[in-house]
Amino acid sequence: MNPLVLASRRPVAVIARALALLFLVSFLFFPVYWMMVTALKPNQQIFVQFPEFIPTHPVLDNFKRAISQSNLPTYLVNSMITAGGSSLLTTTLAALAAYGFAKYRFSGRFATMNIMIGAQMFPFAVILISLYPMMQSAGLLDTLTGLTIAYVVFALPPAIYILFSFYSRLPNELIEAARIDGASEIAILRRIVLPLSKPALISVAVYSFTWAWNDLLYSLTLVTSDNLRTIGPGLLLTFFGEMQQDWGGAMAAAILASLPAVIIFAFLQRFFVAGLTSGAVKS
Amino acid sequence: MSSVRIENASKAYGGLKILHEVSVDVADGEFVVLVGPSGCGKSTLLRMIAGLENVTSGTISIGEKVVNNVLPKDRDIAMVFQSYALYPHMTVAENMAFSLMLKKASRQQIAAKVGPAAQILGLTPLLDRYPRQLSGGQRQRVAMGRAIVRDPQVFLFDEPLSNLDANLRVTMRGEIRALHQKLGTTTVYVTHDQVEAMTMADKIVVMREGRIEQVGHPLELYDQPRNMFVGGFIGSPSMNFLEATLDEASLTIGGIALRRPETMPNVDAATVICGIRPEHFELRDDGVPMEVAVVEPLGSETQVIGTIAGQSLVCILKQRLRARQGEILYLAPQTDKVIYFDKSTQVNIGI
Repeated sequence: MNPLVLASRRPVAVIARALALLFLVSFLFFPVYWMMVTALKPNQQIFVQFPEFIPTHPVLDNFKRAISQSNLPTYLVNSMITAGGSSLLTTTLAALAAYGFAKYRFSGRFATMNIMIGAQMFPFAVILISLYPMMQSAGLLDTLTGLTIAYVVFALPPAIYILFSFYSRLPNELIEAARIDGASEIAILRRIVLPLSKPALISVAVYSFTWAWNDLLYSLTLVTSDNLRTIGPGLLLTFFGEMQQDWGGAMAAAILASLPAVIIFAFLQRFFVAGLTSGAVKS
Repeated sequence: MSSVRIENASKAYGGLKILHEVSVDVADGEFVVLVGPSGCGKSTLLRMIAGLENVTSGTISIGEKVVNNVLPKDRDIAMVFQSYALYPHMTVAENMAFSLMLKKASRQQIAAKVGPAAQILGLTPLLDRYPRQLSGGQRQRVAMGRAIVRDPQVFLFDEPLSNLDANLRVTMRGEIRALHQKLGTTTVYVTHDQVEAMTMADKIVVMREGRIEQVGHPLELYDQPRNMFVGGFIGSPSMNFLEATLDEASLTIGGIALRRPETMPNVDAATVICGIRPEHFELRDDGVPMEVAVVEPLGSETQVIGTIAGQSLVCILKQRLRARQGEILYLAPQTDKVIYFDKSTQVNIGI
């Protein structure tokens, strides 16, 4: 905000506003801050009665342990495969479905779409209960393919919805002009619709990627072999057991695990915001 | 180039009928304008010619071929949309070349088509720009360029000028007309603006509520409207409609009996509606008294708005005059120019 604008306001209002923002920011970022601080402390310093908010003697031992002791590289690769795969699959399926729902007239299209979007109403733990026996009978339990499909199941409805609202806003005349210009339906999708929906597609891809990356429950339930674990359950089971609780190591590993998601988000957030808000206001 | 023939075409959405057995012939190279108030079905008819809407019954032919079941891309037509529908992620050159690219034309072929089309429309310096970097008139030209490049049998225009400001509209009107004269391509043009229709068309098709009211040359419609709707729709300011009674010797408007004109259709004494164009009045002492509401001096002429026997009226007089509100002017219609309509059917009884 322009400092002149701030100065022209009443000081009490300015201070109240600043405090409110500070509270909100600390509420959101304190866990992240605490994760970083803890990762830099030796384990015996973590449980002292008066913890240090800024570590006086930061150490990197936790990071070394996180890399050497755990299967971190394997977990990272598994997460990349499942999150990346489900993100790709979700975006592709959602783009096709949403475009169909938005731009083609066929009987029962609203009913079909509402049923698909209605799937979102169920808590994801509930979906998991019905998903488990299906995965079992399909022989997909304890496989990365099965886990990827499970992520798609959950991410697809909101993805369709986001893209549906985007495509509904895309002028029909563009599609009709392309149709008259001689484009087939596939060519229209590939050369007109998809290039124009890049922001929305990226936001859907980021959304489904982060969802899968952050998952704990599905992965913990559907995958049991250690070499197939994704980052969340992998770290949990490495650093916490019946006998041990290595908070420092866990926090260091958590930082390493968040990095890819943070990097992706930082690069694509411009599109992400544009994609989510597109259609909200008249441009 | 090709002719377009529409025979008994109907369009219905479910039970709702939008077009009722419409027939229009567009000759090879002709510029035909479909005009009518919004909701009259003109755009639907155009979209049916384009193949964007299917035909419920009847046939549409382009050239000799019935195209009812032919896909838009195989109809060899080009369409200019009201919103221009330029592809936002492509440059002007790419927009114009898109149809050729889809046909897998070579780079040389594309350049050979896009270059001259851009030249004709003055788009050469803008070829590398994106649509968002263009003004409304330039976008309009790109949309036309995209159509020209196709070298189609028929051009279809769907209200192409309604998003432009008034001055630009007049300019673009001339450009489209000039383009038609240069290329000679059969054109079907939809507008709700009767001035556009009058100034551009070889032939006007006036539509209302899914039916054709009259087809003809612009001045034919102006001089001999088939009914009150066409009379009122074509021409600006609109034709005046005054109720009058008729007997063997005279025509009485507003209580004043005028001599029954010799051109008068042979109808029995009755109440008729006189359709009188604003310019077909003159000031005359033995005329009908009009109470003046507004006088608008336009320099070359004077437009006067007022009432005769409670019926409102607009007239355009050649002379300059000063008259205040409430003043009485005596007006006489040029009786040989008056058009007579049946009061109940609203049909022109002179033809």
